[in-house]
Amino acid sequence: MLNAPRLRIIGRRLLHAVPVVVLSTFIVFGLLKLVPGDVAVTLAGDNASEQRIAEIRELYGLNQPFLVQYGSWLSKAVQGDLSNSLVSSEAVLTSIERCLPHTLLIVALALLTALVIGVPLGIAAAAKPGSWIDGIVMAVASLGVAVPNFWLGMLLVAFFSLQLNWLPATGAVSLMKDPAAALSHALLPALALASGGIAEVARQLRSSLVEILSSQQVRTLHAKGLAPSSILWRHGLKNVSVNLLTVISLLANRMLAATVVVEAVFAIPGMGGLIVNAAMNRDFPVVQGVVFTMVLIVVALNLLTDILYSVLDPRIST
Amino acid sequence: MRVIDLGNRTLRRRDVLALFGGASAAGVLGLPREVLAAKTGGILKVAAPANPSSLDPATGGAGSDHSILWTMYDTLVEWDYDTLKPKPGMAKWSYPDPKTMVLEISEGIKFHDGTPLDAEAVKFNLDRNRSDQRSNVKSDLLTIEAVEVTGPLQVTLKLKNPDTSLPAILSDRAGMMVSPTNIKALGNETDRKPVGAGPWKFVRWNDNEIIVVARNESYWRKGRPFLDGIEFNIIPENATALRSVVAGQNDMTFQLPARLKPVIERSRDLKMVSSPTLYCIQVYFNYARAPLDNVKVRQAINFALDRDAFVKAALSGLGEPARMTLPSTHWAYAKDVAGTYPYDPDKAKKLLAEAGYKDGLEMTIGGYTDQDSVRRGEIIQDQLGKVGIRLKFTRGTIAEISAQFFAQEKKFDMLVSAWTGRPDPSMTYALGFDKGAYYNAGRTADPELSKLIQESRASQDLAERAAVFAKIQRITVGQALSAPLAFQFELDALSAKVKDFQPNLLGKPKFENVSLA
Repeated sequence: MLNAPRLRIIGRRLLHAVPVVVLSTFIVFGLLKLVPGDVAVTLAGDNASEQRIAEIRELYGLNQPFLVQYGSWLSKAVQGDLSNSLVSSEAVLTSIERCLPHTLLIVALALLTALVIGVPLGIAAAAKPGSWIDGIVMAVASLGVAVPNFWLGMLLVAFFSLQLNWLPATGAVSLMKDPAAALSHALLPALALASGGIAEVARQLRSSLVEILSSQQVRTLHAKGLAPSSILWRHGLKNVSVNLLTVISLLANRMLAATVVVEAVFAIPGMGGLIVNAAMNRDFPVVQGVVFTMVLIVVALNLLTDILYSVLDPRIST
Repeated sequence: MRVIDLGNRTLRRRDVLALFGGASAAGVLGLPREVLAAKTGGILKVAAPANPSSLDPATGGAGSDHSILWTMYDTLVEWDYDTLKPKPGMAKWSYPDPKTMVLEISEGIKFHDGTPLDAEAVKFNLDRNRSDQRSNVKSDLLTIEAVEVTGPLQVTLKLKNPDTSLPAILSDRAGMMVSPTNIKALGNETDRKPVGAGPWKFVRWNDNEIIVVARNESYWRKGRPFLDGIEFNIIPENATALRSVVAGQNDMTFQLPARLKPVIERSRDLKMVSSPTLYCIQVYFNYARAPLDNVKVRQAINFALDRDAFVKAALSGLGEPARMTLPSTHWAYAKDVAGTYPYDPDKAKKLLAEAGYKDGLEMTIGGYTDQDSVRRGEIIQDQLGKVGIRLKFTRGTIAEISAQFFAQEKKFDMLVSAWTGRPDPSMTYALGFDKGAYYNAGRTADPELSKLIQESRASQDLAERAAVFAKIQRITVGQALSAPLAFQFELDALSAKVKDFQPNLLGKPKFENVSLA
């Protein structure tokens, strides 16, 4: 799978990632500086005097020029040290190591759900376009896109946790410690997060399948007397796999962002809660660390997508 | 009257206190062990609204830390739950003369690591709190000139000037004792591995997720604590926190907004606890500049605010209209000041006309973006609009807007926010109204007021102190230096198995008396 041209792609992509990471962390650092508010006020506490706030600014180097602060952060980050939180003084890397698995588990589960439910729905709708099945699937898909996931999350909790008492309403458990408990905690948030994804997958799959099934190539296959099911599975689906991959890749990126809200509804100590809290307090190192990690994940996802593209369709070379 | 609602039956506070008094008497009188044993054991799971800023009392800053800190750290002085009158904690205090305070430490207290809590340890802590670069309680202890060890269990504080607010100050962060051995070993990193002398020992803290404490088997108060441990699950979203209690994942949650009251009432298995607190929702003024430098404008605003309607609309009735910065149950409440601003829109219009704003005026106000703040802001906007004051609102996060109002920028004429209260009223007036204080956006103050704040710390006698506070309130209310609106009531949701939980006037739960059925 990893032949020379592919390795070249990977190498080029990795090089592209460097300016992306630097630029995005620089922009976020700058934005945090532009927004009014001051971590020194948080650190000084409720009884703060102006003098105390100034003292703290001095103590933490918060009064140094913007570029000096950013430069010192970047040089440490390159060496694998994401600094310590200014507020809680915990190493940022430790916080991320603890929070990231929770977020990744929900996103992975949500993606899987979106595929497991969305793909059959899309196929069913595309098999007979215009039929009642198609109508229902498309209506459900529209609803799925329209329903806000935090609201769906609350409905799910009301029904499955409070009413039936089947699944926990809040919190998260580490997958390493107790896989069963971890999955039972992650299921409802993943469902809430997946609703939009299911709809997206079903709609995209349906439209590209319909397009292919009505193409000349497929008409020829029909004329040659190939069974419709064989056309659908062997020719139709194979041809839409690249489209589907694009949808999955976009969904993964979008879900990573959408977990912020879902994590709040389910009180999951993931990356969303971490960055919201840090942004509220202007805790630069934590915000930077989270952004840095997320950028790396997105870059890795895109890289993986590119490689898979060229596997699925050798004509594509980027 | 404080009412504790137990679902279908309502107890008056007196009944609860009677029950509660009985329970504590049982401990003192040494009732048969099986009676106590019945109360002992179990892990209390609490949905807590905020991640602590630090678990080192000296370097932390957020008012929401206390409920967690108190489980691990005992304080030198404690207070009465209902009135906040200071009472002995780990130490008794006396003032042989106005500029000397003597602390007599109880015998046999040890930190969780075995270090004895003696005079040396107390001196170590107070000196650290007074001088450490990262200490946030330095300003609370400014009046202390020297801390001297005058006996194995006796510490004498030499004061620069008389200061009787010190007992209350030592019931707060400054009086939480940290093991000197731990600080010497870890320095300021002690906040990740805290060692105190409180009823529970630190076990684990995962930021924004959980804090676990376990029973201190060698706790100095015999028979205490009742709970084997407490788990604080950090859930900042109130509705989510309450859902976790309804679902049985947590046993209780506290400091809920009033709008969630119907949800608690609908849940059959939950107990609702509601009681007065010092948390004062108020409009801060920048009275150093026009138009609020004119006392008539400030008074007009105070007359234009219908506080009873505010309590109903903004707090679902769960609050007390605020006539000054202290609630009516507080020991320093001044009855004669309370009637200064009855709701009188005509009077407000008249005062505005006298101040030269016959046709009304436009002012700027800052506020926060959360649901409750927005609702408060809309009510104020509506009420002031009726007398011709048009408000231009700017909203943002707490950090952003408070910095813009209180720090150098000096944006907005007013800020709608709250004062969370302090154990001693002199702290409230010194921090909020004295010259140069951070929470006094204009930084100016009547010299008479500054003098009275000093004077309020001169006497040990609470009645004498209350008389000085009455004078202070006559100035802050008479001069309309702010517009207090309402004291928010504490609103907590408890599962039926949580026993003997008692709220306090500070509005920050303590778990020392709680047991599980």
